[in-house]
Amino acid sequence: MLDFELRRPTSLEDALAMLDTDDPSVRPWSGGTALMLMMKSGVFEPSVLVDLTGVEEEHASIRRLEDGGTSIGALATLASLQFDPHLASEAPVLGQALPRLANVRVRNVARVGGCLAHGDPHMDLPPILACLRGLVVARKADGERRIAVEQLFAGYYETVLDPGEIITAVELPTQTGWDSVYRKTTVRTHHDWPTVGVAISLRREAGLIVESRVIVSAATEKLTRLEAVENLLAGQPSNAALFTRAGRTAAELVETIDDAQGSASYKRVLVGVEVRRALSQILEEGSGS
Amino acid sequence: MSVETMNRNEGKNQPEVGRDVPRLESRRKVTGRADYVHNLSVPGMLHAKVFRSTVPHGRILSIDTSEALDAPGVHYVLTGEDIRAMFPHPYYGPAFHDQPVLALDKVRYVGEPVAVVLAEDPFAAADAVQMIVADYEELEPVYDEVEAVTSPVVVHDVLKPAGTFPDLKHLHGKRDTNVALDYQLRRGDCDAAFSAAAHVFEHEFRSQPVMHVPLEPMVSLAVPDHDRLTIHTASQSPSFVRMEIARLLGWPENRVRVMVPHLGGGFGAKLYIKLEALVACAALIARAPVKLSLTMEEQFYTITKHASTFRIKTGVDADGRITARRCEVYWNGGAYADIGPRVTQKSGFTAPGPYDIENVSIDSYALYTNRPPAGALRGFGIPQLVWAYESQADIIARELGQDPVEFRRRNLLRNGRPQATGTIMESAAIHEVLETVVERLEWAKPFDRGSGPVRRGRAIAIGFKASIAPTTSVAIVTVAADGSASLSISTVDMGQGSDTAMAQIVAETLGIPTEEVTVVHPDTDTTPYDMATLGSRSTFHTGNAVKRAAEDARERLARLAEEAGMPAQDSYAPAEVFRKRYGMQAGTVTGTGSYIPEYRSPDEDGQSPKVTPYWMIGATGVELEVDTETGHVHVTRMVNAVDCGTPLNPKIVEAQISGAAIMQFGFTMSEEMHFDAGQVTNASFADYKIPGIHDIPPLMDEYIVDAVQSGGPFGAKGVGESATFGVSPSIAGAIEDAVGVRLTELPLTPEKVLRAIRAAAGDPLED
Repeated sequence: MLDFELRRPTSLEDALAMLDTDDPSVRPWSGGTALMLMMKSGVFEPSVLVDLTGVEEEHASIRRLEDGGTSIGALATLASLQFDPHLASEAPVLGQALPRLANVRVRNVARVGGCLAHGDPHMDLPPILACLRGLVVARKADGERRIAVEQLFAGYYETVLDPGEIITAVELPTQTGWDSVYRKTTVRTHHDWPTVGVAISLRREAGLIVESRVIVSAATEKLTRLEAVENLLAGQPSNAALFTRAGRTAAELVETIDDAQGSASYKRVLVGVEVRRALSQILEEGSGS
Repeated sequence: MSVETMNRNEGKNQPEVGRDVPRLESRRKVTGRADYVHNLSVPGMLHAKVFRSTVPHGRILSIDTSEALDAPGVHYVLTGEDIRAMFPHPYYGPAFHDQPVLALDKVRYVGEPVAVVLAEDPFAAADAVQMIVADYEELEPVYDEVEAVTSPVVVHDVLKPAGTFPDLKHLHGKRDTNVALDYQLRRGDCDAAFSAAAHVFEHEFRSQPVMHVPLEPMVSLAVPDHDRLTIHTASQSPSFVRMEIARLLGWPENRVRVMVPHLGGGFGAKLYIKLEALVACAALIARAPVKLSLTMEEQFYTITKHASTFRIKTGVDADGRITARRCEVYWNGGAYADIGPRVTQKSGFTAPGPYDIENVSIDSYALYTNRPPAGALRGFGIPQLVWAYESQADIIARELGQDPVEFRRRNLLRNGRPQATGTIMESAAIHEVLETVVERLEWAKPFDRGSGPVRRGRAIAIGFKASIAPTTSVAIVTVAADGSASLSISTVDMGQGSDTAMAQIVAETLGIPTEEVTVVHPDTDTTPYDMATLGSRSTFHTGNAVKRAAEDARERLARLAEEAGMPAQDSYAPAEVFRKRYGMQAGTVTGTGSYIPEYRSPDEDGQSPKVTPYWMIGATGVELEVDTETGHVHVTRMVNAVDCGTPLNPKIVEAQISGAAIMQFGFTMSEEMHFDAGQVTNASFADYKIPGIHDIPPLMDEYIVDAVQSGGPFGAKGVGESATFGVSPSIAGAIEDAVGVRLTELPLTPEKVLRAIRAAAGDPLED
């Protein structure tokens, strides 16, 4: 832990070249909020850290795309998401959720890309980006690809990213017609990591639910999209009875895990309650775009 | 009121005592200028890092330190045997001499210090620690305090009481037992009373292990001189550290100097002796200064709060009067006794609660287990006891169909009545404290318990605590030739505000503003003995010593004035006295004072006419909401009231009340050390959750009841712990009031609440 090399590329190409190795002790570094904890506790001992903040200028912006969607640079801080005026109208769920995501010091330095690439299931942002139908733009030395946020995660602290591949942006399609809600449940303290995170987006027409995204995280080994619940909602009028059924279905289908925050069976109950409450909340508030 | 009140106003318009003097150290702290041991560095200093046991119980077969010793920057790697080679009996502890400086022969818990690396920088030391290899013959461990009573697993082969406490002497040399102390009290005839009782209630309540988590982790620096040793340490008990290190080294006390600057919190974690023995021995072996700074994680391996099991049996007559109570309390002391046996006895005798009960039987057991040691933590065992007896009080009242407040009114002790020890209650505003909470919570008004998924409930709980007696404090007040005053005490201001309160006593007595009094921080070369800063004893004990010292200084000034031929008067401007007496700005006046309260040792039945100089009383009332679908509990309102006599500084007292209540709130709702095979699995703030600003009740009120403590300085007594007492049982009681389920094990997590609700509804959650 005493010695490692800190490299500071000034172009994305240089950064990718430095990361083009199978050596897992070579890692990219941006906000460092998770990596520093791992280094301090001895869980991770780097040989090389590649500091991405040298390319911040081109990769931290939040831009409206021509088709009405949004591109979020991977080096955008969480605080910049929280206060971005375009996102405030396009996806207000972000601004509503972020004040309870970690703390102001973390939000000021932690980056969107790192938050996704870390693969930690106990995060608030990935389920929200997943329910907003976000696509991760991933680049490595030999090319670029797009991965749906809900398909980014391969397991507990695992992603489908290849060695040397980094996230450069997250693209959100237009949110027009969609309403989204994120419900964070903690069981120890208010500002804890979520025990259960439920993110739901609905597109409704003429009183019927046309399309939806139902995402559960934190209680599960990895972020999970509950398509069976989405199917149950499709074409239905939104009402309390439907939401109760949706909650029950979510609780039955979800594979929760035991950990320090609680038993799998307790989290299963929470998932059911929170899916139902999230749906009711959308109905009541119509919050979203 | 009292003579004190008349004195305090003598010749002055603005009394210093009773004024909300802002804390003297506040500016230094908020501007980052306050001294802490963590910031201290001396030339040639070596940094220590501890290699810790990975097994809960085992015989040490070998420790290979060779690779670590060859690592860059490493000067020494020491094991227990290296310490023993230089110091033949390297065991320490306030109650038992049972804790080795580094593990000898056996390890007794995961995290126990086994070896120490001394290196030029802390990172080199940490790296080298990774290279040490220890081999153990693993032994069967015992973790649970009740199992430890009968377990064939024995943590210590033989008991080694320190000899400082007469009631521990009978344990000397006792073998093959984990019971470090079996305290008992008998009063009246419990068996007969239970037979005659209209109702008998039996319950068991458990509390979890928690940690103090001072934000400044423990830190000590030992600097050897050619025949002396200076220890800079974040300690609550510099006088004890000096005595214990001198004993360990076989030196006279005056060759050991202990200095304590500011503390970043203590709460009992930094009491008696913690890292000091290790840095002292290491520094003497290395002939170089040695500093050991623990990480937050390492604190969890150093000291904890006792987990406990309390079996309580209560007999009640047809009118709802408690006629008998039998208390069996098991304290999980971990691998080393620390001050656990004192907790067992000094808190044990209040186990029946502040109730007037004719027939009482108490058995309180200190147990050794293979867990990190447990010691003092804000409340010194009292919150674990109140948790049980106040929970049961609500259960009894509910079963009898009585209002829980009425039930308490009927049974609470009154001044003039004997407590379980036989000591007659005096200056104890128990009823006033209860009534204050009742009134502020508007108990008599109808209460809306809700109807949807969120239900509401409320409850009240009250507890009391005796002072640890007998203990001594000494103070020195120095008046300089310009009339400015300094106060030298070994009481440690760890954030509770004692410097300010003590300065107020000096200022009041000498007739000068508090802001002009300097408080000299503990330095055993210059500041006199104080037993320790613990158990809310400073206000009363140090306060009385300070008052006497200031009065002595005042009298000496008067004598000096007389020598100078000045006319006799009530008070003098000190600068003028010095000038008249010595012809210029010259001279010093030194006043000293010491204080030890009256105390009578209990007999073999635990009976004593004077078991404590004063009683501390605290009550809590809460209103809360329970989400019946998730088990979440939201405390919407908390009211705390205390009897602290007459407050010296009401603002500081209010902060002590809210601080104590919030700390116990964390121990009630979220804090718990988790173990896996003896290993703490959540030794950091990532997974050990203390409450944040969004967790505490949105409405919190602190009340100080109108009271005067007889024998207290200006009628005051301590208050650092009183608001911890009622928090846990009032919240559990309000949960039952809201949703009809009773939890008997802390903490009260949402999952436990939901499981209880579902079980009561006949729809239990699977495990």
